[in-house]
Amino acid sequence: MDFVTLGGNLLGTIRLGDIVLYLTPFSLFLFAVLLGFTVLIGLSKPETQVEATMHYLNNTEVKVGQKELKQRRFLAVICGIASAGAMITGDLFNFTLFMALVGILNIGIVSAVKQTSVLDSAFNYGLIAMMCSLPLFGGAAIILAATGTLSLAVLSQMPASPMVVLGAVLMLLGILGESGVAPFFASKAEMFRTAGSPYIVIIHLSSLFIIVRAVEILLLVLW
Amino acid sequence: MNLMAEILIQVIIAFLAGSLLLGLHRKVMARVQKRPGPPIVQQLIHSLKFFFKETAFPKTVSKVFYIGIVFILALIWVVGVIVGPVAKDSLLILFGVYAVYKIVEHNSGSSSGSPYGKLSCVRAVLSAATELPLFAAIVFVYMVTGTMNIGEIITYQSVHGPLIYSIPLAALMFFMLILTKSPYSPFAITKDKVLISGFETEHFGFLRGFMLFSEAIAWYVLLWVFLTIFFGPLNAVGYLIGMIVISFVTGFINATTPLLSPNHSVMTQITIGAICFAGTALMIFTGVVA
Repeated sequence: MDFVTLGGNLLGTIRLGDIVLYLTPFSLFLFAVLLGFTVLIGLSKPETQVEATMHYLNNTEVKVGQKELKQRRFLAVICGIASAGAMITGDLFNFTLFMALVGILNIGIVSAVKQTSVLDSAFNYGLIAMMCSLPLFGGAAIILAATGTLSLAVLSQMPASPMVVLGAVLMLLGILGESGVAPFFASKAEMFRTAGSPYIVIIHLSSLFIIVRAVEILLLVLW
Repeated sequence: MNLMAEILIQVIIAFLAGSLLLGLHRKVMARVQKRPGPPIVQQLIHSLKFFFKETAFPKTVSKVFYIGIVFILALIWVVGVIVGPVAKDSLLILFGVYAVYKIVEHNSGSSSGSPYGKLSCVRAVLSAATELPLFAAIVFVYMVTGTMNIGEIITYQSVHGPLIYSIPLAALMFFMLILTKSPYSPFAITKDKVLISGFETEHFGFLRGFMLFSEAIAWYVLLWVFLTIFFGPLNAVGYLIGMIVISFVTGFINATTPLLSPNHSVMTQITIGAICFAGTALMIFTGVVA
């Protein structure tokens, strides 16, 4: 299967040595949205989260401190750039690397939060992401061993052998765990309870978009 | 026709038709519950009214996202109209549009600082269970037709007949998504009334106007995509009848079904999705579907 059938007309390629990025309306849409959100994150200040005070008729305001704000904003911007890279990469290994980087950054964004439930959730997600990095990279390695290439342009023209199918299934398992979608989202949902809306949005955005891109990549490899 | 004019006309049609269909949905729900219900045009009037109401900004908000997110919401559904009814381009782009919609749902809740919006935001993450059946339905359509291009899927159906007959369980998965996004759905955990209006609670005035504008277009686009990829080439009357029937059916289901708790909602969606996935996969791999 080729890029055109899946993502629309090929608009162009960007060659960076071995790394070839390609643009279709589909990848361009995802890339542009991610860059747009990344710019907004860079410009935003966090909200003040209002919560009910336990046992009293008061409200508690949860704010993100200045130092924590800078750290989280930096990590969120890097996460946005890494996710944008995953949207236009034409190389299977680069995709897995961007994916792993996004997983680490997702944990980093909430690592300085002082809410125990959020840290617990990040820890649980970290465990799943760590375990799923094995099938993620293992799947890519099996595809490389079976076909001799990691280029999506070349893989899309090759028939899928049983080993490639196995590699793709392993990669799917790795992607589901690394991005923390169903059935693994339960480990991740509590991470979103913390204040700092502009920074936690990238956690959700990067996961969803990587799943959307993974659909295209797996179809390219398998059909 | 000039492309810009066609986009503009299609966006206006999507807004008007979507608003009236949502109005019909409310009317059906009301009649099932033995209430007279608002007029069908009420949803449209509401949407227009909010553009002229005073807009207030809570002091707790993250301003850039709080304001920006509603424009993003309107923009992505305009992109949905362009990719779908206008260009009949790749289904994957529409999948991407839907993913951004989830993000908007998430962020408009959390950027307000309101505890209701925040809870809606956390539930938006939980309700990501609907994406997997959508993804599976799209992949099955691709496996049967060999293309993601909506125009080519229509051509395939004009030769081989509507896909609803060959992969009905995939259509059911897609219908689950439509049901989830319909107002007062049993799966609408992000807009549960215990959260007031969920992620929309703190958006007032023209910001709410943009949200209602986007919801109308979103409803139209979702119905259009469903009818196009499962019911084959349809003319304007076919689309109209199909959209009215789906709005009627979802209205009836929503009027007679209580809102599920978040866990039950997610588990029900996953269970139905898994059964439909396994059934469709079995049909394709055993050769029942050519």
